[in-house]
This record gives sequence, structure tokens and C-alpha cells, in this order.
Amino acid sequence: MKNGKDKIAEAKRASGADSCVECGRCVAACPMAEMYANFSIEMSPRGIIKKTLVGDPVVEDKNIWYCTECNAGTDTCPQGVSCRDLIRKLREAAVDGKILENAKTCKCCGRAFVAIPVEDFVFARLKDEPANVFGVLDICPPCRREAYLLRNA
Amino acid sequence: MAEQDFSLNLEDLRPRLAEKKHLSEYFMPRRHSFILFHPDRCTGCGACEMICSMRNTEKVAPVSASVKVVRDEKEGKNFSILCQHCRKPLCLPACPTRAIEKGEDGIVRIDKLFCTECGLCTMACPAAAPIKDPGSKEIHKCDLCEGDPLCVKHCPENALTFTRGKAVRWIKGLRWTSQLISFLLLVMVFVGTFCYFRTGSISFACPTGALQNIASSGTIVLVGFSSVLPLIILTVLAGRLFCGWVCPFGFVLDLVDKITPKKIGWPSFLKSRMMKYGVFAGAVGGSYVLGFQAFCTVCPIGTICRAYGVQSFFRSAELAIIPALASLEIGERRSWCRYFCPVGAVLGLTVLLRMIKIVIGAKRCKKFSCIQCAEVCPVGIIDADKLREGLSPKIPMTECIMCMRCIDRCPYDAAKIRFRWQKVTPGEVRR
Repeated sequence: MKNGKDKIAEAKRASGADSCVECGRCVAACPMAEMYANFSIEMSPRGIIKKTLVGDPVVEDKNIWYCTECNAGTDTCPQGVSCRDLIRKLREAAVDGKILENAKTCKCCGRAFVAIPVEDFVFARLKDEPANVFGVLDICPPCRREAYLLRNA
Repeated sequence: MAEQDFSLNLEDLRPRLAEKKHLSEYFMPRRHSFILFHPDRCTGCGACEMICSMRNTEKVAPVSASVKVVRDEKEGKNFSILCQHCRKPLCLPACPTRAIEKGEDGIVRIDKLFCTECGLCTMACPAAAPIKDPGSKEIHKCDLCEGDPLCVKHCPENALTFTRGKAVRWIKGLRWTSQLISFLLLVMVFVGTFCYFRTGSISFACPTGALQNIASSGTIVLVGFSSVLPLIILTVLAGRLFCGWVCPFGFVLDLVDKITPKKIGWPSFLKSRMMKYGVFAGAVGGSYVLGFQAFCTVCPIGTICRAYGVQSFFRSAELAIIPALASLEIGERRSWCRYFCPVGAVLGLTVLLRMIKIVIGAKRCKKFSCIQCAEVCPVGIIDADKLREGLSPKIPMTECIMCMRCIDRCPYDAAKIRFRWQKVTPGEVRR
């Protein structure tokens, strides 16, 4: 358990979350508002930063798995807080703590490469495309390139 | 009272422009330029990566290039993965901020203003061609250097070529001319010639009709067989060329297809290509029972050939079969030929002795990003799913009507006619 707390402290330090002023710019810029119908303050970067700072159990929370790890919040933050790095570190802590139900692992190499809610979003957007595209999407991008090479070269 | 939804979404803020299609594109689809990769020439040197990263970030760092050279040391294979600028890009719907657009020139671009570098385009792409720079976290994707690609210029082995595909589609004109001429000849000049024709010792007969004739009369005449031979020999030599290039009813169906571009499709339990063999067996069996050529009275090809110069009321009543069967075209292209035509069934059985085949070499083409061959195929025998996986589809020649639309349409010369015994498909190297 101590190890998990260390991870959270490291995440705070790496992302600079302590200097957050709760202005909410990252929420305004966050593409998740467009992506998910159930977008809420708990899911938003500001909510996750607050939860981390307050010391609530954030690693077990499903809300950290909705993020696409984009640069929008980091770019717009006046205090230089990187919500992307924070969420990435929290996810790393979750994967280390064997909380894997929301992480998709690659079928070839076994690496956790995408969060399930993000993947569900991509699947929902591609639902009109022919079905066997989804077999390709089960593999992580480097493995996909490798598979593409073996099929086509 | 229902709660009103006041939320704005992306479609309200930045409405997507409606796709415009010029009139000329209905006749000649525009050929967009793209980079084609030849795996047999690539040595995996990585010059394309280096020059591409030079353009992207002004320093030579292969990780920040828009092209990725993948090597397989065991098999000795090299491949450079780059954006194929798909006809229907998968990255485009997957982008949450709609930063990706396909321009009028066919180039798929990422708008840096809207891109949040989330990497969902990489997730959606079957080849994972948009590449995330691990340093700057930017997404780099090929934009063809706005029409003058550096990687093509700097490839030492010419493994990358910049092309727009072939220009002249001459088979199309040739086929329509052949169909028109044979329609005019069979329907207007030599009335009824297709079914049976004889001058002196030379005779010609429709194979299905001849078999029904044998069944109904119960006598086998060897001369009857010799009159069937011309069509059989043509089919053995060139596949079902008759169906695609000569058949007057097929010509009518192709014309009807032009005015019904939207297809409703048939339910799958009705679709069985074996049905035409059943119709053929039924026609021969029915002739034996009834004592006359049972199918020939309703045969659309025969009816259309005998139609010119209407002599009686019954003949014009017989003509009703043509619009009735042509209306099947609203479901699928050439529905009659696919599922029912007994003449096609006889020719399909003859094709078992074929000399030639059509091959599509997936190693030479753009695979999932193109699939034009499967779209233009009037009998729908090209397996689009196989092509999406990047494998060469096997074409069942008994169903192929040899219209050669796939050969005509393929911009990369991947669809070809080969002899039956040739094993190598286009783009493959025999090792």
C-alpha cells in the first residue's frame, strides 16, 4: 500500500499538480466533453487533479480511464500542470496494482495500450465500417505495423 | 414537458462541409496522387524516415518522421508504413476534435490547430500509419509534402513511387462497344441467331437450348453438338466472355444498372449462386417431361433476340419477361446472371476446363484503402474482406463474367489475366 502512495506522490510531482489553481481551462479544452455523453466533473481533468490532491482513492476510480492522453489540457494550463502526465502516472499505478479491468492489452505483445472507454468510443465511431476492421484494432500500433509487414512484404 | 437539450456539439460549432461531386466524376472518377510502396525493392535503409523527419522537425530523427520503416530480421523483409490516403479514411470519423479532413485533392491532412495529439487516429488506422512522436508528443502523418514527396526523391532503390495510377480506361469503351454491336447484330440483323442459326453446313446453337432440345426430343444428334462448340470453345479459351461482352440481355441489365445506382440488396437466405444450376437442371428436366424446350419460351436472352419484327400478339406478351427480370437490378447488379441464368450455368460448368483466370495481387495494391475492384465487380465475387486484411482474394472463375471491370479500374495494375497454371500473382517475387 505504501508503494501505491509513493506512486501518487510521484505523479503529483511529475505533473506539477500541486500548483493547480482550479481555473477550469483544462475542462474547457478537454475533448472528452465531445466524446462522452456522461461527461462529468469527476471524469474531467480538474476533478481528477482535485481528487488526487485531496487524497481520495483515485487509482481505483474508473474515471481515470476515460482520458485519451491528449495535449489539450496541458497546452492550455496557465500553471503548467500536465494533466496528461498525471493521468498516465495514475494509470501506471493502477496497472502496477493489478487493476486491469479498464485497460486493453494487446493480443500479440500483452502490453496495456489503450483504455477500454476510449476504445469503445473509437468502435462506436467506426460502427458503420466493415466488421473485420475490429480484428485489426485488437493489436497495439507497433504490433499492427509488424503484422502489416508480415502480411504484405 | 421533456427537457430540452441546449448543449452545443462539434457539428454546431464547426459544421462539416457537404461533399461536392462534379458531374464529370460520374463518368471518370478523379485520380488522386499517392505514394505506392514496392516491398521487393526496399532494402530498409531508412532514408525515407530521415528525410521525412528533416521536413517535420528540421532535424534528422527517424522517430519524428511520418513514415515508419519496419524490419523483420527472420524473414528478411522490409516495409515502410506510410499513410495511403484512403478513399474512406478510418481516422477521419475516429478523431474526437475533427482535426482530420480529406481535401479535394485526395490528401488526408491533420489540422494542427485542432489536433490535440490524442492518438486516436493511430488506434483507428489498420496500418497504424499516423505516428506519435515520443519526444514532442506530436502526431506526424504523411501529407504527401503537398504534392512533391521528399521520400520518393530520396529513396535510393526507387521502392517508393509517386503516381496517380493509370489514365486511360480503354477496356471500358471496348466492352460497351462490343456489347452495343452484338446487341444490334443479334437483335436487329440476325434475328433469333443466338438460339439457333444455320446456313449450309455451318450451324450455331445456344448450349442450354441444345441440351433442352435433346431432352425433349430424346434423340442425340452429333451435328447439334458441333453447333454448340463455338460458344464452348470461346468459354474454354476466354472464360465467360459471352456474358460480359456479348449477351444482349446482359447489355440491357448493364443499362438498367445505370439508372438504378442505389441497390437495396437481397436477404442472404435468397442468395445462392447454385440456384442457376438448379434452374438449368429444371429446364432440362422440364423439357424431358413436357416434350418441348421449356425454358426457351421464357428465356430473356432468346426473347430479346427474337423480339425484333413483332409478328404476333403472343410474342409481345412474351417480351414482358425482360422488364420483369430487369427490375431485379434494384436489388443487386446483374441479379439474374448471378443467381438464375441457366445459360450462364452451362458456361460456368464449361469454365471448369478454363485456360485463364483473373488474379488480384494484393501485394501490389493499396488494399483496405482502395477496394475499387470489389465495388465495380457486377457479380460481386471479389472478396473485399480478404483485401481489407491485405491478402489476395481468390476469384471463382465459374462466376466471373469476364467483364474485366476490375482490370480496367485498378490503378496499380494489380488485377491481371493469367494462365490457369501460373502461380505468381502480380507484385509477388518468386524466391
